[in-house]
Amino acid sequence: MARLQTSKKSKDEIPKISKALCEKMIADLEKARRPVLQATKCSLDNSIYSPGKGYLTPGPKKVSSELNVSSVKKISRSIFMLEILLRNIDTGSVNTKRELYYMAKGEVKHNKDLRVLDFKDQDESDSIVDFLCEMIECYREDMNCYANDRGGQTFSQCLVVHETMPDGKKAVIDLSKLGTSPFQPKNRPQNLTLKAKKKIDFCLVIESEGTANTLVSNGICKRNNCIVVGSQGVPSNAVRGWVKRIQEQLKVPIYFFGDLDAYTIQNIFRTLKAGSAASLIRNADYSAPEVRFLGVLPEDIKKYDLADYTVKSDNASDLRALKKAKDILANDPFFKSPKNKKLASILHWLIKEKRRCEQQALFTVNPRDPIMPEKIILEKIKKKSYI
Amino acid sequence: MAKTKTKTRARSGRITKSSTAEYFSKNLQQVGFSSPTKAVLTTLKEAVDNALDACEDHGILPDLRIEIEKLGAGSLKNTDQIRVLVSDNGPGIGPDDVPRVFGEYLASSKFGRGRCSRGQQGIGISAATTWAQQTTATGARVISKTSSMRKAVSYLVEVDLKGNKGRIKEKETVEWDRKNGTSVEFIFDGRLQYNGEAGLHAFINGNILVNPHMKLVYKLPAGEEVTVERVSEEIPRIPEAVDPHPHTMKLGDFIGHAGLFGPDKTTTWLKNGFSRVSPSAIKELGGILGPEKGILNGKVSALKEAQIKKLYTSIQKTSLKAPATSSVLAVGESSLAKSIRRLGEVDFISVHTRKPTICDFKPVQVEVAIARLKGSNSESESSVSVIRFANRVPLQFDKASCAIVKSIQSVNWKTYGLRQSKGSLPQGSFILAVSVVSPFIKFKNASKETIDASDELVEELRRGLMKAGQKLSRHLKREKKAEELTNKIQHIESFAPILVNILCRITEAPNKRKEAAAAGLQKILDRDMKKAKVQYDDAAANLEQHLSSQLEAMPDVFRTYKDPKKTVEEAQETKLGAKDAEIAKLQDEAEENANSSKTKIKKKSKGKKTAKKKNTKKVAKKTAKKKKTVRKKATKKSKTKRRR
Repeated sequence: MARLQTSKKSKDEIPKISKALCEKMIADLEKARRPVLQATKCSLDNSIYSPGKGYLTPGPKKVSSELNVSSVKKISRSIFMLEILLRNIDTGSVNTKRELYYMAKGEVKHNKDLRVLDFKDQDESDSIVDFLCEMIECYREDMNCYANDRGGQTFSQCLVVHETMPDGKKAVIDLSKLGTSPFQPKNRPQNLTLKAKKKIDFCLVIESEGTANTLVSNGICKRNNCIVVGSQGVPSNAVRGWVKRIQEQLKVPIYFFGDLDAYTIQNIFRTLKAGSAASLIRNADYSAPEVRFLGVLPEDIKKYDLADYTVKSDNASDLRALKKAKDILANDPFFKSPKNKKLASILHWLIKEKRRCEQQALFTVNPRDPIMPEKIILEKIKKKSYI
Repeated sequence: MAKTKTKTRARSGRITKSSTAEYFSKNLQQVGFSSPTKAVLTTLKEAVDNALDACEDHGILPDLRIEIEKLGAGSLKNTDQIRVLVSDNGPGIGPDDVPRVFGEYLASSKFGRGRCSRGQQGIGISAATTWAQQTTATGARVISKTSSMRKAVSYLVEVDLKGNKGRIKEKETVEWDRKNGTSVEFIFDGRLQYNGEAGLHAFINGNILVNPHMKLVYKLPAGEEVTVERVSEEIPRIPEAVDPHPHTMKLGDFIGHAGLFGPDKTTTWLKNGFSRVSPSAIKELGGILGPEKGILNGKVSALKEAQIKKLYTSIQKTSLKAPATSSVLAVGESSLAKSIRRLGEVDFISVHTRKPTICDFKPVQVEVAIARLKGSNSESESSVSVIRFANRVPLQFDKASCAIVKSIQSVNWKTYGLRQSKGSLPQGSFILAVSVVSPFIKFKNASKETIDASDELVEELRRGLMKAGQKLSRHLKREKKAEELTNKIQHIESFAPILVNILCRITEAPNKRKEAAAAGLQKILDRDMKKAKVQYDDAAANLEQHLSSQLEAMPDVFRTYKDPKKTVEEAQETKLGAKDAEIAKLQDEAEENANSSKTKIKKKSKGKKTAKKKNTKKVAKKTAKKKKTVRKKATKKSKTKRRR
C-alpha cells in the first residue's frame, strides 16, 4: 500500500493520495487479489521517544486491513467516508466529526442500498475518520475536519499575532488591545505568525483556565512581560499547536503550572510536552518539548505549607490515574527515558504517598494577598524550582 | 399440643382470657388471609402443602386433584363464593385426628422437629377452616380413609373458637374408590386471580416445578381439566430430624429444653439433647465454667435458674461444630430440570444445586434453575420471571424484600450475557427458579410469604445464581458465535457492490473496469464464504455437542430436542431467502474439495470430536460409578446405625 513519509499534506496532495489508494485497490480487485489498507499503529507499544526530538514518534508497527469477510465492513465504511471527505476538500467545506457522522447518516437515509454502512453512534464514524488520517498520514484538519475549539485562552501585553486567512487575506491581532477578552487559537495554529512587541520573559501555561483568568485579572501581565495561557485540562490540538508555535517562533521559556497528581503529569503535561500515543503522526507539530513543569512539585507542599490531602478511596478517577501511573512507568518510553527521570520520580512519589495537591492551594499561603500565587510562581521561576 | 392463652384487657377493666383460635380468628391477615384474593391462594396452598407432606412422610408418590369453582356471589363486598377441593392419595387421617388437624390451632405433627417440611406450626389449615366458617358459616368438608378402615368417613369440621378445638358437626361413612387418602373441601368468600405472580397459574406451575414426583389433575373455572404426569418415580428422601444446636437457641428455649431432661445428669442432657455437643466440647465447657464446672455432674432438675443461665452463656462461648446439614431436602438438579420441562418446551436449561451449607447457623441448601422457553423473544425488555420457593412451597407475595430477589438483583447478569439495569432484575424471556430449603427458614412474617434477607443467605444465593449464570453464559456464547458467522455471510453479499461502486466513483473508472473489479471481488468473497461455512459448521457442531452432553445428563428434559445445526440452518434459510440455493451449492463444492485436499484435516477434527465425546462418556461413567459407591456406603452406614 502506498505510504507517505511526511505528515504535512497540502490540500492538493490528499485527493491525489486518496485516488492512488483507490486505484491500487481496484487494480488488486481486477486481479482477484485482496487489497490491503495499511495505517500507522497509534498506540503506546508503537511509540518511540528520543530525547533529542523530545516528542513521541511512531515506531515501525502498522495496522493492516486485508479485504476479507471480517474486514469488508470496515473497508467499505472507510472508502464511503473518504468519498465524503474528498468532496469536502473539493468544495472547501469544513465540518466537525459530529457533523460528519450526521452527513454519513444522511447519505444512508437517501440511498437504501447503503443501509448496511449506517453508523450506530459517533464513536464508529470517529474511528473511521482517525483510521483514514493514520492511513494517509495527514492531520484531521487537512481533511477539513475540525474539532470544537477548547481551551487556549491567551493573555499578553507584548504579543502580536499575524493570521493568514483561508482566502489569503491577512489579519493582525495585538493582544494588548483586546481589553479583558482573551485571544483563542484555532485548530490550525500553523497559519499564525507570532511577533513580540518587546522582549517576552516567559510563557506560563496554567492547567485551570479559571486560575489563568484570576492571575491576569490580578495584573500578572501588567507587571511582567509574559504570555499566560489557560489549557483547560488535557490540552486540545489547538492548545498543543499554539504552545508549539510560541516555543518555535518566540523562543521564550515556557512553564506549565498545574495540580500535583498522576492525571496532570501523565495526561496533561506529557501531552503538552511530548504529545500522546493516540496522535503519534501529529506529535511533531503538536508538542512543545521545551515546556517545563513548574509545579506543584512535592517539595512545594512543605516549602509553602500548601494544603494537600490523601487520595480518597471512593474517588474512582484518582484511583484509576494512580493505577495507570504504575503501568505508564513500566511501559511509556517518555517516562522511561533518563531525561524525564525527575518526572517519573514524582509519579513514584504520588503512587507511594497517595497524596495530591491542587494548583489553587497557592491561595492558602496568604489568603489576604491576592497576588501571593503570582509571587510564588515568579519566585519558583527565579530560583529555577522546576523540572 | 400447646394451648397458648393470650390475655386481653376487657373494656370493663377486667382481665379476660382468650384462646389461640380466637386470637387468629381476629387476626387472620397475619396468616395470609388479608384479602379475598389471598384467601383463595392461602387456602389452596395450605391444603396442597398438607397433602404433599403427608404423602412424602409415608413414602407415597402423590396423586393430587385440585378443583376450584365459582359458586355465585359472595357475602362480602366484591367477592364470589369459591369452592376449593384438594384430594390426595396419602395415608389418610384417623377419625380422632381429623378435628385436631382441621379445627385446632397449633396442633401439628411437624412442629419443632428440626426437619424440612412444608408445614411447620399447624396454623394454616385451621385458619382456612376459620375463614370458611366466618364467610359462609360452613367449615371444612373432609373425606378421609386410612388403609385399615373399611369405609371412608366424611366429616364437616368447624373450629370451636372459645376452646381452640376442632368440632365435628356432621359425620357419616361413605363409599370411596380409593384405598387410602384425604379430600378436603372449603366453600368461602374470595376472589380469583389467575395470572401474574400472585395468580393461581403461578402457584400451580410453581408446585409442578419443584415436585417432579407429583401427578396433578386440576380444573380451574376458566378452563378444561388438565393432567400433569409425574416425571420422577423417586419419592424425595425424608430428611433426618436433627437435635437442636445450642448456638441456635435462645435462653428461654434452653430452659424449656432442660425441663425435658429433668432426672438426667447435665452432661447426659447436653450430649443427648443437642447436636454437635461432643465430649471434647464438654471438656472445653468445663474450662469456661471454671469453679462452677461441678454443675455438669449434677442432675438437670437440681440446676438453679442462675446456674442454667451461667451454663447457657458458657456454652455460647464454647466452640462447637456448625449444625448438621443432613436435615435439608433439596429437589435435585435432574428433577428440577425435568420439572421445568413441564412448564413448556425449553431450548435452554441450566440447573445448579449448591451443597448444603450453614447460613446464620442454620443448615440451608440453595438450588437455581435458569430456563428459556422455546420460541421466546430473546430481545424482550421485560424482566425475567422469577419463581421463588421455600421448602418446596412457591412464594408469591412481597417479592421486593425477599432474599431471593435481592440476591438476583445483586448479581451482575451482564457478565453472563443478559441485559440488566443497575440493581434491577435481569431482562429477557427466561425463567429463573430459585429454591431455598432449610428446617429453619427465617420468614419475614407468619404467613411465610417472603424470606428474610440476611447477608449470609444472600451471599449463598448469589453463589448459586452465579454458577447457573456461568452455564448460561457459555451457552449464549456458543449461540452468538453461530449467529456471527451467519452475519458474516450476509456481510459479503451486502458490502461487496457498495465497495466497488464507491471506489469506481472516486477514481472515475470506466464500466469495464468496474465489472472486472466486481468479478474479482466476487471470487475473493466466494473463497471467504466457503471458509466461513466451514467455521460455521464447526460452531454448529460445538453447539450440538454441548446440547447432546446436556441430553445425556438429563435425558427427559429435551424431549423435543432438535438438532441445533438444523435449527440454525432453518433460521438461516429464512434469513438468506433466495440466496440459500447458492450457499448450498457452495457448501457442496466445499465438501467435494474436502474429499480431496482437506480429508486429512477433517479426519483429524472428526477424530478429536469422537475423542471428546468418548471422554465425556468416560467421565459420566466414572461419576455414575462414584455416586453408586457413595450411595452403597451411605446405605451400609445407615443400616449399621439402625442395628445399633
